Amino acid sequence: MTPAGAVRGAAFFGALCVVPLLVGPQWVLNLLIFTVMYAGLASAWNLVGGYAGYPSLGHAAFFGFGAYAVAIIFENDVGDGYAPFRTLPIIGLVVAVAVLPVAWIAMRTRADVFAIVTITLLFIAQTLAFNLRSVTGGAQGRSIAPAPFPVETYDRPFYYAMLALLALAMLLSVAIRDSKAGLSLAAVRSDEDKAHGVGVHVTGVKLLVFAVSAGITAMIGGVWAYYVGFIYPQFAIDPLVTIGMVLMCFLGGRATLWGPVLGAAILVPAQQFLAYRLGASQLYLLGYAAVFLIIMVLLPRGILPTLRRAR
Amino acid sequence: MQLAAQAIILGVLTGGVYALMASGQTLIFGVMKVVNLAQGAFVVLSAYLTFSLFTGFGVDPFLAILITTPAMFGLGVAVHWLVLRPLKHEDVGQLSLLVTFAVALGVEGVLALAYETTYRSVQPGYENRSWTVAGLQISEVRLYAFGLSAVMLAALYLILERTRLGMAIRATVQNPTSARLLGVSSERVAALGFGLGAATAAAAGSVYGLLYPFNPGSHYDLISRLLTIVVLGGMGSVGGAVVAAMIMGVGSSIVAALASPIWSDFTFFVVLLAVLLIRPRGLFGARARGAL
Amino acid sequence: MAKLQSHKCWDKRLRNRRGTAAAALLVAGVTLSGCASSPGSSPSSDSTPLKIGISLSLTGDFADPGKAAQRGYDLWATEVNKRGGVLGRQVELKIVDDTSSPDQVVTNYQNLITGDKVDLVFGPFSSLLTIPASRVAKRYGYAFIEPAGGGPKVFDQHLDNIFFVQPAPVVKGGDVFADYILSLPADQRPKTAAYPKLDDPFAAPIADNVKQRFEAAGIRTVYDETYAAETADMGPIVTKVAAAKPDVVVAGTQIEDSYAEVKAMIQQKFNPKWLFMSNGASSPADFPDKVGYANTAGIFSSGDWYPDSPIAGTKEFIAAYAAKYGGNGNAIDNTSAEAFASGTLVELVAAKTGKADNATIIQTLHSGTWPTLVGNLSWNADGAPNGSYLLVQWIDGRLRTVYPPDTAQHPPLTPKPQWAG
Repeated sequence: MTPAGAVRGAAFFGALCVVPLLVGPQWVLNLLIFTVMYAGLASAWNLVGGYAGYPSLGHAAFFGFGAYAVAIIFENDVGDGYAPFRTLPIIGLVVAVAVLPVAWIAMRTRADVFAIVTITLLFIAQTLAFNLRSVTGGAQGRSIAPAPFPVETYDRPFYYAMLALLALAMLLSVAIRDSKAGLSLAAVRSDEDKAHGVGVHVTGVKLLVFAVSAGITAMIGGVWAYYVGFIYPQFAIDPLVTIGMVLMCFLGGRATLWGPVLGAAILVPAQQFLAYRLGASQLYLLGYAAVFLIIMVLLPRGILPTLRRAR
Repeated sequence: MQLAAQAIILGVLTGGVYALMASGQTLIFGVMKVVNLAQGAFVVLSAYLTFSLFTGFGVDPFLAILITTPAMFGLGVAVHWLVLRPLKHEDVGQLSLLVTFAVALGVEGVLALAYETTYRSVQPGYENRSWTVAGLQISEVRLYAFGLSAVMLAALYLILERTRLGMAIRATVQNPTSARLLGVSSERVAALGFGLGAATAAAAGSVYGLLYPFNPGSHYDLISRLLTIVVLGGMGSVGGAVVAAMIMGVGSSIVAALASPIWSDFTFFVVLLAVLLIRPRGLFGARARGAL
Repeated sequence: MAKLQSHKCWDKRLRNRRGTAAAALLVAGVTLSGCASSPGSSPSSDSTPLKIGISLSLTGDFADPGKAAQRGYDLWATEVNKRGGVLGRQVELKIVDDTSSPDQVVTNYQNLITGDKVDLVFGPFSSLLTIPASRVAKRYGYAFIEPAGGGPKVFDQHLDNIFFVQPAPVVKGGDVFADYILSLPADQRPKTAAYPKLDDPFAAPIADNVKQRFEAAGIRTVYDETYAAETADMGPIVTKVAAAKPDVVVAGTQIEDSYAEVKAMIQQKFNPKWLFMSNGASSPADFPDKVGYANTAGIFSSGDWYPDSPIAGTKEFIAAYAAKYGGNGNAIDNTSAEAFASGTLVELVAAKTGKADNATIIQTLHSGTWPTLVGNLSWNADGAPNGSYLLVQWIDGRLRTVYPPDTAQHPPLTPKPQWAG
């Protein structure tokens, strides 16, 4: 990380930390929570889909694992309210380790088949969530005890938790990118077989980023579950969450540090705005599709790389 | 025993319809290396068109196929022209997923605007009739649908084997570079291949409305099944897709009838994963360059 | 990308009427609310609009009932404003779309309460969305009158601000059918029963409740399976049910699977002596359309409102609806009636107490019975209604109340007639 980059990062997060103290209405903070959440998700996805070049379409499953973990542990009592946040690192680690065998199987395939395999894993996870009723509550869902935070500042702890996770995702991205693992990943991304032939530890590095990515995604899912208070299988493990992550990453620029954040910053408020104001007409879906297509056709590389090339 | 036999019959008949839808999907992949996530949406679109033709003009769904198939063929070519062709070649793999998904969303949005989200189904009056053979019930509509699928798949086979377009398609699937060297216009082939894929969706869609209620959001469920069929059969292999569809149809029907209906889709996914572990290219897929 | 979600938590019930009393109260309440001078308040000086915020599913999976609810709310607002509004204040509805997503519903109510600063809120569609939304409302001290969240988990939250606008909790939907069957003399009752259930918080528990009572009475269970949500193909399931040869089928269904189940039964020529469907079969317009007019004969269901409902106020409601939206009354979804009833409750509280703020509503509605289009409602501390439903059956292409006998419009039709095909 260059000094300039460090300053940029510090300024960005510093500003975001101060925002809740300045902004009055709660709904703004609510919007920011979802924006930062998706920025974190997109950054986590970026590790696998951007830096490694493996477009995982099943990441929502990890989101769901984290959500259910929090729901199961904290169904009745959240102590002082911060207990769920304290257990997040453990959840992240457990999920990261648990996905290693799955990742190993899945990463034996490439690109399109990999995408489909990960989608399939997503459906399996969702089916399990529906059917293992004793564990997940099935279609009835699970509740999380309400947080005892005062109503005026209720959203703030969740906001800071999401912010911390975004920072973690970005720091890890920088650490990996600037390390030998990052070089290996770049090689894997361009041509995996050549990299393998040259002696790069292809499998090891792929598994590393997959595990890290899954762990962070799970932690974000845990905070989300706590915030919403009640989770259902089809929303905790939702293909549209994956699509959101992927689209934001593509929009901002894959394999860039700030691309996912930029993508989330544009799309989340736009989507909420569209739904809140225009949602009543079906134009909402069409608008979404149009945005998609325009991005893909005009900015296939994403915003940041296109801007850099233009310089 | 009776239960199993009945389940098998249902499974075979259902599998046939899925085979038709999946054949188009796998063909598109073979020709363009594009996973068409809008295939389900095309089926639903065709179901709606058939619905309108039936309720507005009294056209029988099986006859409506004569209208919907060419119409969707044209739509497929248009979609390819507008949306897929502009993609740069090296991005096609990853971006096509998102682009076709956007097309699916767009189709869903248009359908929701035009028809609202009420569930519809096509009910020409004979849709509940069934024959009793040796104590087993065979639904008339499903049998006709199966027959239609068989006919369309045969037609597809003839196109692929006997026409110049078919030869060009098969050449492009096997080896795009050589095909181009031999004078096959890969862009034209891609466009026509996509059109063919959409046409199969059209035919299947016309009967889909007879079998199941549908609304604009039904494509999600469809595409998940189609994707698993296509991967199981081997991406790019039409024959593989047919076999995989039959396996899926019979398999999930038997599990639903004999074990618990809740697990029927699940076991199918698990089987798929197991197959992929042992044979990543699916049952009949070609070995991808560079993959394991 | 399978969006495996079809939780149309369509809580349809019927209720017994206490006709004239209800009508009289309704009229009185409405007249009183027109008179601005009520004891202990000064509403006549406040003529700012009464803003009510509602998040509805106008797109996405719940869009159809969401839009039906919107029509009900809008109709109520129009009618009440014609009468001078609530306590002299014109009602202004702010309806926003939550695209059937819990994330969006939380955002919406936050926006409505803290951004738009609405005076009151009504609930969204389905228990799925009601639960997260009710928490937001509770946090800010808002009453939560909601027409569509009646699943057990809603009441398990033990929130005192929830009021479910239907006669009973959703899981009681089948109990009235069990009442009817168990009222028959022992030799006329079914001996065996099948319970095909949709994996849905409203469908499966209804069938399970009935199963408990049937088994206690000695009716043997020959089939008890749950099938996944979004099962489009009911063929294999019906195959297995038919093979078990049950006398009565108690189907825990939602909408689409009810149509598919009936069609599969017709195709497989399976006709039980009694068929009860918890949902789907109670829709007066859609059900005959989807399964065939003649095939509806003899199917039982339960609900809270339908166009031929004997509850007072129905005819006026249908007339006003037709005047505003056109069409005949037959296509009115009971969700519209439930939404309308939500508004009525606010009017009634205002009439009784002279106030229409959240604290008053929460306090007042917890005692007494309140007459609405969907019956006389009263609630326990958790917001669960204390009443019960009526058993309806399709007879000659129309829904008729058949049980209990004192409120029945027609005696029950048994055994179930053969399918028309």
